[in-house]
Parts: sequence; C-alpha cells; structure tokens
Amino acid sequence: MKKTWKKLTMLGMAGVMACSLAGCGSGGEKAPAAENTTKAAEVTEGSSAAEKAETSKEPVTIKITWWGGQGRHDYTQKLLDVYTEKHPNIKFEAMPSGWDGYFDKLATQAASGSMPDIVQMDYLYITTYAKNNSLADLQPYIDDGTIDVSNIDENLLNTGKIQDKMAGLVLASSYLSMGYNPDVFAEAGLAEPAGDWSWEDYAEMSKAVHDKTGKYGMTGVPVDDTNIFNYWVRQHGESLFSEDKKSLGYADDAVCSDFIRLWNDQMADGIIPNPDEYASLLTLGQEAGPVVTGGGAMTFEWNNYASKICSVNDKIKMVTPPLAKDSDSKGLWMKPGMFFSVAETSKVKKEAAEFIDWFVNSEEANDIIMAERGTPVSSVIREHMVSSGSLSAQQQAMFEAVEAALPLCGETPDPDPVGMSEVNEAFKNAAYSAFYGQITPEEAAAKFRKDADEILARNNQ
Amino acid sequence: MKSKKKKSIYKRTDNLVGYVLMAPWLVGFIAMWLIPAVISLYYSFTDFNLLNTPKLIGFANYVRAFTQDETFIQALKVTFLYVFLLVPLRLAFALFVAMLLNKEHKCLGLYRTLYYVPSIIGGSIAVSVVWKQIFGSKGVVMTLLSVFGIEQSTSLLGNPKTALSVIILMGVWQFGSSMLIFLSALKQIPHTLYESAMVDGAKPSYTFWKITLPMLTPTIFFNLILQIINGFRVFTESFVITNGGPLDSTLSYVLYLYRRAFTYFDMGYSCALAWILVAIIAVFTVIIFKTQKNWVYYESED
Repeated sequence: MKKTWKKLTMLGMAGVMACSLAGCGSGGEKAPAAENTTKAAEVTEGSSAAEKAETSKEPVTIKITWWGGQGRHDYTQKLLDVYTEKHPNIKFEAMPSGWDGYFDKLATQAASGSMPDIVQMDYLYITTYAKNNSLADLQPYIDDGTIDVSNIDENLLNTGKIQDKMAGLVLASSYLSMGYNPDVFAEAGLAEPAGDWSWEDYAEMSKAVHDKTGKYGMTGVPVDDTNIFNYWVRQHGESLFSEDKKSLGYADDAVCSDFIRLWNDQMADGIIPNPDEYASLLTLGQEAGPVVTGGGAMTFEWNNYASKICSVNDKIKMVTPPLAKDSDSKGLWMKPGMFFSVAETSKVKKEAAEFIDWFVNSEEANDIIMAERGTPVSSVIREHMVSSGSLSAQQQAMFEAVEAALPLCGETPDPDPVGMSEVNEAFKNAAYSAFYGQITPEEAAAKFRKDADEILARNNQ
Repeated sequence: MKSKKKKSIYKRTDNLVGYVLMAPWLVGFIAMWLIPAVISLYYSFTDFNLLNTPKLIGFANYVRAFTQDETFIQALKVTFLYVFLLVPLRLAFALFVAMLLNKEHKCLGLYRTLYYVPSIIGGSIAVSVVWKQIFGSKGVVMTLLSVFGIEQSTSLLGNPKTALSVIILMGVWQFGSSMLIFLSALKQIPHTLYESAMVDGAKPSYTFWKITLPMLTPTIFFNLILQIINGFRVFTESFVITNGGPLDSTLSYVLYLYRRAFTYFDMGYSCALAWILVAIIAVFTVIIFKTQKNWVYYESED
C-alpha cells in the first residue's frame, strides 16, 4: 500500500513538473533558420537574379501579417485580392490578428526564422527587431525606384531608419489629440475647446462638466503608456529619454510629479475615473466608450479617433491637446502610425517591396484603405483623397486638421528605445501607486526614475 | 532447450511491443518536454531576447532576480500567500463535499458530476471572464453590497487588499479533482471500523477524528502534494481576471514569468525564473515527503 502511494505521488509529481517546464521551453525551440520557405519562393529567388526586369512572372506567395479590428481585416483582404487580380502570379497568405498577442507571435516566428514576408510593425518594437537584424533594409528598393518615396515627408520617412537601415516604410502618421463630445459640452453650457487652449482651460472645463452634469470631464487615466507624459515633458522643453537612451532625459522630477498630481487631484474630485472604474470602462471597447455614448466629455486619443467611431456617433470632434501657458516648446509630434517591414529571411523581398509601393502610392489601393490606418503619408494621395470627395465628414475634418496641427509639431522623437514596453509598465505602476494613495506623487516620480533608468540601462547597452 | 529459446523470443517481442506502444508518449515526452526543458536550462544562463543569439552570462539572471528585482519578490509573495491559503481551504472543502456525497442516494452520480464541473471549466478563460464580471465594479457582488447600504468606491477586484481573496475563492471553488480522490478513499475505509465504533457508542465527530481522518492521511498526503504543485503554477486566473493588478497585488509567479518572456522578450531571465520555480516546488515536495512518517498512516505497517 505504502509503495503504491509513493509511486503514484512520484509519478504525478514528475508529470506535473514536466508540464510546468514545457510552458517555458516551448518558446525557446529554435528551428533551423529560414528553411521553411515555400518551394515557389525558392524558385523565384533562383530565377530573379537571371531576369531582373521580369521578377513578377513566376508564381510567388507573399506571407503578410497585420494587427487590427475586423474592419481592417476585411478591407485588407479585399486589397490583397485586388492586387492578385492585377498580378495573377502573386498570391498572398494573410495572417491577420488583433493587437493582443500579435507581437508574442511575431517574436516566436522571428526566433524560428519563419517570420512572414511583410510585417506590419509598430514604433514600439521596430528598434528591437531592427537591432537583431530581423528586418530587411528597404533602402536598396527605394534607391532602385521600386518604392517611390518622393511624396513622403523626409522627417516622417526617416522614423523608419534605424542604424542607417530603412527597417520599415511608414504607412501613416498620427498625433495626439483630444476627442470630445459637443453635446456634453452644450449640456454643461460650455464653449467647445479650441486649438489654442491651455492646461488651465482643460482643468476648468473638465471640472465644470463634472460639476454641472455629473459626467466624467475626461474619461481616461492617461498613464497607460508614456505618450501623453512625453507630450507634457516636451512642453517643458525637455525630452523623455536621454540621447544615448540609457536613462530618462529630463532632469527635474517635478515635471513628472506635477503630471501625476494633476490626474491624482482630478481623480479625487471624480472628474476622471479611478483605476477601478477605468478598468471597467476599458472593457466596453472604443465604440461604446463614454465619450461616444455621451457619458463623458473628453478623451485623449490619436487624431483618427473621430473617423474610427463615426459609424456609432458622427458628432465627435477632435482638437489638439492643451498647450502649456508659458512655454513655446512644441510638445506635439507626428507619430509614425505604423510601418510595413520586410523580413530579413524573406525570399520575395522585391515582390514585397512592389506591393508596399502600391499600398502607399496608388490611388486604387488608398480608395479601398480610406485612411483607416491613419493619414496617408503621401501628399499626392492626401490631395487625391480630399479632392475625390469620397471621404466622410470626419475624415475630411481629420485631413484638414493635419494642416492646422503641423505648426504645433516639433521634431519627431527617435524611435522608442529597447525596453519601451517595460518603461511604460513602470510608469503606470508608479502613477497607480500614487492614485491608490500608497505613495505621494513626488515619491512616484522618484520611483519611476529609478525603475526606468534601471530598465533603460539594462536594455540599451 | 527448445522451449527456453521460444520463451526468450517471446520475451523479446513482448518488450518490442511495449516500446512500440510507448513510442508516441516517449516521442512526445522527449520532443515536447525533455528537450525544451534542457534548452530552457541553458537559456537561463544566457542573455536572450528571442531575436538575438544567446550570450552566456553565468548566474547573472539568478543573481538579478534575488538582488535587483522587486517585482520578482512581489510575485513570490503573492504566490506563496495564494498557495498557503488556497491549499488548506481547497482540501478542507473537497473533503467536506466528499463526505456529503459518500452516502447512498438516488441522484448521487448527478451530484458528483455537478460538483466536478468547476474543476473542468474553472481554469478556462470564459469562467475567468465571468468571475471578473461578478466581482468587478458594477458587478453582481458590488450591486448587492450597495443594496445593503455598503457603498464602496472600489470593487473587490479593484482593491489591492481584497483582489487576491477573490482569486483564491475561485481556486477553492475548483475542488473537484481532490474531491473525487477523497471520495474513492472514503469508500475504501472498511465499514467494520465504523460499526464497532458505533457499537461502542462513539459520536460521529469522534469517529471522524479517530477513524476517517487517520485512514485518509495517505490520500491527504497525495492531494497535498498535487495541490501545492498546482497552486504554484496558477496563471489563468490572475492573467484574465486582473492581469496581475491592481498594483501587482495578484501578480502570480507564472504570470510574471510569462510577462518577462512574451511582453518584454526577456527570455533568458524568464527561463531562470522558471527554474527557480522548479527549485521551490522541489523543496516543498521534499519537505512534505520528509514529514510524512510523522503523520501519514499506512495500513500495511501494522
């Protein structure tokens, strides 16, 4: 009897422990790199050297992956079908997914050498991938005219340049904005915010909305990432990160503690939701969020917010975020919306580059995209979109607002340093500790500096 | 002579059949468990972010965990608290329900199945989402509390002090597998023991402490080890319900390990974390094994 129990226990233990290891080990298995490309692709590479001009006759399969919502999946698939119709030899293998898990999957694919040929890339991660040589240099394809960049703003284009390599071609640009519901402002008897408003105006307005209507003045807890804080820091004439990316760039922690205190005070007054309420607001999703449904006045968003939710509420308007009263520093910047990168392991780089060119520069493609990925980077396409009259009122407003926002924009900051997602988490944690009353905003600012410096130093050696 | 030869052939083919039948499991074990485990041990001594080539850095990852990483300490605290509260509660509850079900009753099979259901579905995403809704702000529990006049600004899940207790409650609710093992063990206790106790006029509570519990100690021992190992590996609940929050108050060890690996791509370090967890579980298992001669009763020893 005793022996049986012992054996049984041992067996159970062995099994369970092995299970616990498998979870960690599975990501680490390294398949021989780049052996799993399709036969068709190999054929193409062999022949492409011989017939340079005629790359596009052999049947080619391009694997492409992107993140987004169902709407984006639908029209992108349509886009691929149209392209295949025009180039019958090009077939696509599409791997769409949501934002959640997208980069988990990509990292494993990159590690096993099976990264899709065309990858939708974010500013947050492009440095990491570029530094590890997972992304192909697109400069040769720009130089030989495969990708036409003559209509793209130089500053914006260069955001894809990492260590002298064009690691990704920027697809769209966006900038921080405040989305607001005019009805809520009217209900509170307030004038709508204008582009020259200050943080003091913001504080006054949001308080007035809450006092008069009981609704949220602003519906977010803007510390989920460091974008809004970055804007704030830039308004103080500083930068978030130091030149070498090994530490924070601003000298005085008061910049940070003031920012946290602002939200802490608004939270205490019920003007913005507390972390708990905010978490449940988030589960509603963007389209059912309080600003859209009239439960709140304002929300920090990217400038394409109004056109994204116009099918649910077509009254939402956008304004550039508040200015700092006694500072001329331009806080705003044109953020590269997203990139298309090509995998270094890809055997169909030329064909991928041709597709990217079509995506960015052709009216045909952009008539399908309808600026869903953000304001197009090509000025010619922007003109075409405005003049074609096919835009919704919100999109029309968005395109026009870009011209108004440009004078407020300073230099685009360097790509996010490696370890950025960890820095964001540290920032959120420090701020939340203050919001939960465990530490003061000053202590939170100091904690963030300590954590962020450690993370940056570790990741950017 | 002839018969001996025949026998040995028979034996050899017998082994072969055995190995063939074992092969699928063996292949799976080596390919999916053993090799990744060995590789992860190697990675734990390297600086590796999935994309670069691993660079050997000795014990630096392990040193970093214990000397520089406050979140690691927090995750350890949360996980220990979880295990030490959950395991006794779950075992007690499982035993309680098993005793209730250890009777002759018409619908017994149905009840047994029903009480086992949470264990099957409890670890799933869907149920975690339901719990999130029940205990979250504007959830059923908060609404009920406000009906009774207990208004609170944060929900049970939104409060760093109470969030872990909700996660533990959910764990207790998944008592089914321990319950089934207890139930079969209860059925094995000889009836004669209870009969003679009854003849002697012993009260039910007395027979529980003097007969049932001692006879169950091997089962408790087995369940204890299984549940402790399981407890240390808690992931889904804290991942889905709270994502470790608020303020890392429900950040389980495995969730932190996962975050290190797949959010920050800190693969080498997270492999080191995995092996630290293996060591912790091993230590606990050894300790419990060492103490068993003091409290576990085996019939065969008499």
